Amino acid sequence: MRPTSARFSFAMSPPRIELRQLTRQLPSGDRTLTILDRVDLSIAPGEFTAVLGPSGSGKSTLLALMAGLDRPTSGEVRIDGVPIQGMSEDQLALLRREKIGFVFQTFQLLHNLTAQENVLLPLELAGKSDPVERANRLLASVGLADRGHHYPTQLSGGEQQRVALARAFAVRPPILLADEPTGNLDGTTGKRVLEILLDLQKSHGTTLVLVTHDPGVAALAHRLIHLRDGRIERQEALTPARQGVR
Amino acid sequence: MSPAFYLRTMARESRGSFGRLAFFVICLAVGVAAVVAVAGLSASLDDGLRAEARQLLAADLRIQGSRPLPPGLDLARVGLRGAHRTDVQEMVTVVASPAGTSQLVELKVIDGDYPFYGKLDLRPVVPLKQLLNAESAVVAPELLSRLRLKVGDRLAIGGQGFRIAGQVLSEPDHMSISLSLGPRVFLSGPGLARTGLVERGSRIDHRTLIQLPADMKASELSAAVERLRRAIPNPSFYRIDTYKEGQPALRENFLRVGRFLGLVALLSLFVGGIGVAQSVRAWLASRLDAVAVLKCLGMRPREILALYLGQTVLLGLAGSLVGMVLGVVIQLILPRLFPDLIPIQLIQPFQPGALLRGLGLGVGVAILFSLPPLAGVLRVPAARVLRRDAEPLPLHRSVSLLTSLSLVGGIFGMASLQAASLLRGAQFTGGVLLVTAALAGAALGVTRAVGRLPRGFARLSLRQGLAALGRPGAGTVGAIVAMGLGVLVVLGMSLVEQRLAREMSTELPAGAPSAFLVDIQPDQWEGVEGLLKQAGATRIESVPVVMARLSAIDGKGIDQLTESGEPGRPGEREPRGERGPRRGGRGRRWALSREQRLTYMDRLPADNVVVAGKLWSDPKRAEVSLEEDFAHDLNVGLGSVLRFDIEGVPIDLTVTSLRRVDWKTFGINFFLVVEPGVLESAPQQRLAVAHLPPGGEQRAQDLLAGHYPNVTVLRLREILEKIAKVLGRISLAVRFLGGFTVVAGIAILAGAVSAGAGRRGREVALLKTLGMTRRLVMESFAVEYALVGLVAGAIGTVGAVVLAWAVVTQGFELRWDLPVISPTIALVGSIVLTVVAGLAASARALERRPVEVLRGE
Repeated sequence: MRPTSARFSFAMSPPRIELRQLTRQLPSGDRTLTILDRVDLSIAPGEFTAVLGPSGSGKSTLLALMAGLDRPTSGEVRIDGVPIQGMSEDQLALLRREKIGFVFQTFQLLHNLTAQENVLLPLELAGKSDPVERANRLLASVGLADRGHHYPTQLSGGEQQRVALARAFAVRPPILLADEPTGNLDGTTGKRVLEILLDLQKSHGTTLVLVTHDPGVAALAHRLIHLRDGRIERQEALTPARQGVR
Repeated sequence: MSPAFYLRTMARESRGSFGRLAFFVICLAVGVAAVVAVAGLSASLDDGLRAEARQLLAADLRIQGSRPLPPGLDLARVGLRGAHRTDVQEMVTVVASPAGTSQLVELKVIDGDYPFYGKLDLRPVVPLKQLLNAESAVVAPELLSRLRLKVGDRLAIGGQGFRIAGQVLSEPDHMSISLSLGPRVFLSGPGLARTGLVERGSRIDHRTLIQLPADMKASELSAAVERLRRAIPNPSFYRIDTYKEGQPALRENFLRVGRFLGLVALLSLFVGGIGVAQSVRAWLASRLDAVAVLKCLGMRPREILALYLGQTVLLGLAGSLVGMVLGVVIQLILPRLFPDLIPIQLIQPFQPGALLRGLGLGVGVAILFSLPPLAGVLRVPAARVLRRDAEPLPLHRSVSLLTSLSLVGGIFGMASLQAASLLRGAQFTGGVLLVTAALAGAALGVTRAVGRLPRGFARLSLRQGLAALGRPGAGTVGAIVAMGLGVLVVLGMSLVEQRLAREMSTELPAGAPSAFLVDIQPDQWEGVEGLLKQAGATRIESVPVVMARLSAIDGKGIDQLTESGEPGRPGEREPRGERGPRRGGRGRRWALSREQRLTYMDRLPADNVVVAGKLWSDPKRAEVSLEEDFAHDLNVGLGSVLRFDIEGVPIDLTVTSLRRVDWKTFGINFFLVVEPGVLESAPQQRLAVAHLPPGGEQRAQDLLAGHYPNVTVLRLREILEKIAKVLGRISLAVRFLGGFTVVAGIAILAGAVSAGAGRRGREVALLKTLGMTRRLVMESFAVEYALVGLVAGAIGTVGAVVLAWAVVTQGFELRWDLPVISPTIALVGSIVLTVVAGLAASARALERRPVEVLRGE
């Protein structure tokens, strides 16, 4: 691991995502389970942060709290300086609509929509002009120009994840949260998907938070966050970000 | 979200859902079909009666009373110049064949042209006038077959011989569904005169039919009727019907039955609603991931709710449309199945109002019953995209309360619409909620208890079945409630109807007479009594009857009282005889204007109890004792003075006692009993009752017809059986509609089973992998469904028995005895139906190979 100056250049800008003393507890029988324990974290615009940790360390909960999918027990989540934990469900939905894209391990495409319609959905929700043209362009950018009218079940795992990428980047969200995006794919396919993901991230200047088990994937990030038992065990800054991928 | 985007997204999101929601459509369609059929038939009858009002009156105007309209009444003077008049008399009497066999008939005597409108179907096909003269009669084919006669034979009426000149197949102003005491016989005026029946005081209904001049405008009609009313002496003794009102009495009766049946139909729609709720719940359970993804993509919870609500409305429309088509088909079929219940010529199955009602109620039920499960999408955690085990959170209490209140409010609104009464709507809603809560509570209790039963001892399939019934989230409670409700309605109705039919047909109270004899002249009594004894009669009793008119109460004239008093309910005819419980009364007009029958006696019969005043306690005044309900109808009490007119002679009677009468004994009882010494010299007849041995009734009637042809024998058993038959027809219609609830219940069960098909498939795969044969799996499923059927059947049966007990003992005040056969049939039927429906719906799961399913995981 090589420390880098990149960390300092990101640290200069105001944080895109900021977590302050973030705690999430869940009742479990008569005990209280602490999933995240007073986490402090600041992620700069355009930064690629990888979150690593064993099962049950709180990685997915961290993502859920960043996106307003879950609410913290205490502490604060700020997106572009605005605290989101007090927002209503509607305000959170609008926040996600404009600012946050998702990629999941299980793809999470809507099975009764075609690939093109899956990509169209966030565009139409955000009221973008020429949504069909944009969706087709996005599908082309992930190499699926001719697969737009296929349903998810007619696509391979890698193709489904590429549709998910196109959907995630459709409205050019400033933040992309990815939960094990290559976890369900074989090595070659996973590598190809990751390549597209990072290309898009770089070209759009997206802040990327990626949860992974794979040290090879994590090695491509600007920064590594190691979680254990709900706490940040350690952080590392890496460089160069994309060495060894191409 | 723009409307276009909303519609587009709804269309996309609904892909692949409609197949899964077939049961939604079926459950709804069954209920809507019942609603449309009832509303359509009801509207058809109402429209038909309006449209054919002239035919059904056989005239433009009909004046009806128990005394004739003065023959000299000048129609021209009341502004009806050019109108045609026909006088009709109807009475019940006994006719006899030359062989001496007798038969009770309804005699109709026509003096003039008949009918002015509609068709009198005669054989041979010639005008009635040509067939009738002083020596001839035209009779119904039914009379010919009963007396073994044919056209051309002779028939004795009132002891006089008549030649049968033809047959009457149908009359426009007599509907096949009305209750009749015997076959029709037509006579001419001179023919009736020959019989001498009128002179001997037989009871006659008089009708005057009037055909208005062709150039008279409809708007002039009511003014003419008003002038007519003023020109008739004692107008309160007559009822005037015009074609414009279109049979108000009959229509009101049909509408009343229609409203009741409408509620029964609504019940099946609500049972369908339970199925709708279940289908929506199962459907949304399969859409949880999609809902979470939509939330992730930034769709607001209320937008997602609107998306699924929109689909529910579309499905509601689809179900309602299917139901509307089915409803129309039922209207086409039903009159053919029950021709004597529904006059087929009046049915127009395409009733826009009924179709609209079905559509409105169908979509309303779809929305209302879907709301509680739909509200659940608000609480699907978006975090489910990351953690599949994130289950929907419980609804906010306010949302739960709001959906529940909308549901109850909706049920109340729909029930009030169907019953056309807010009170009935509230009663229905209360009843439905109570019964549903009881059924749900019982179903929950039983399934939980089954879950805790020790089952180590049982064989494998039974053990599996018991475990499946009791497992949490099995969704069987909904199916049990729906099936149970179906069984409750069908069995409950059937038990009440069976009990009433038995009461009418066989269970005459011990000591009740078997025959009533009316219109006996005082000088005939000795001979009549002798003939009765000859026929084997025992316990013969007779009392004098004096016919009178009430002309004033406490000095106020009847016409004055009827105008100020409440109007009588339309359509209520005076009953023949003075019997029958009359709870609630018939209204004042009826009580005031009826032909009053007075009797006199020293001591009251055992079934009379004086409840106010004292019998024959005032030596200074002529006294009368009144039955308490009748006194209530007349609005009189102790001390009131009633003036009666007996063939022109006025007589004042003071009310000195009120009586409660036990009408169920079928003894001779009167509303008005006068003290002895007042009426002895008044013109009078005798009324008698007798107990006749089996078969003795016909013999007594034959003997009397030969010697005293004016005496009419009314067989109690036969009359009660006729009433029971009418009740039976209505009950059949109710059971037919109740059957829809059962069909809806079965659809719900099949829906519940099919909704769990995925889980079922995995279960089958797993069981097969563990080495269970297909047959054994099927057996364990059959046990599970049989248990569902058993629990639903048992709860429904118990509910039905309780309901029927309440109606029979509280509503009809009859003795209750526990029936065995029908509840057993209901229970077994419910089990068999459930097993068949359940296995049919599991067929696909049973066919799947283990590897297909397990790989899918």
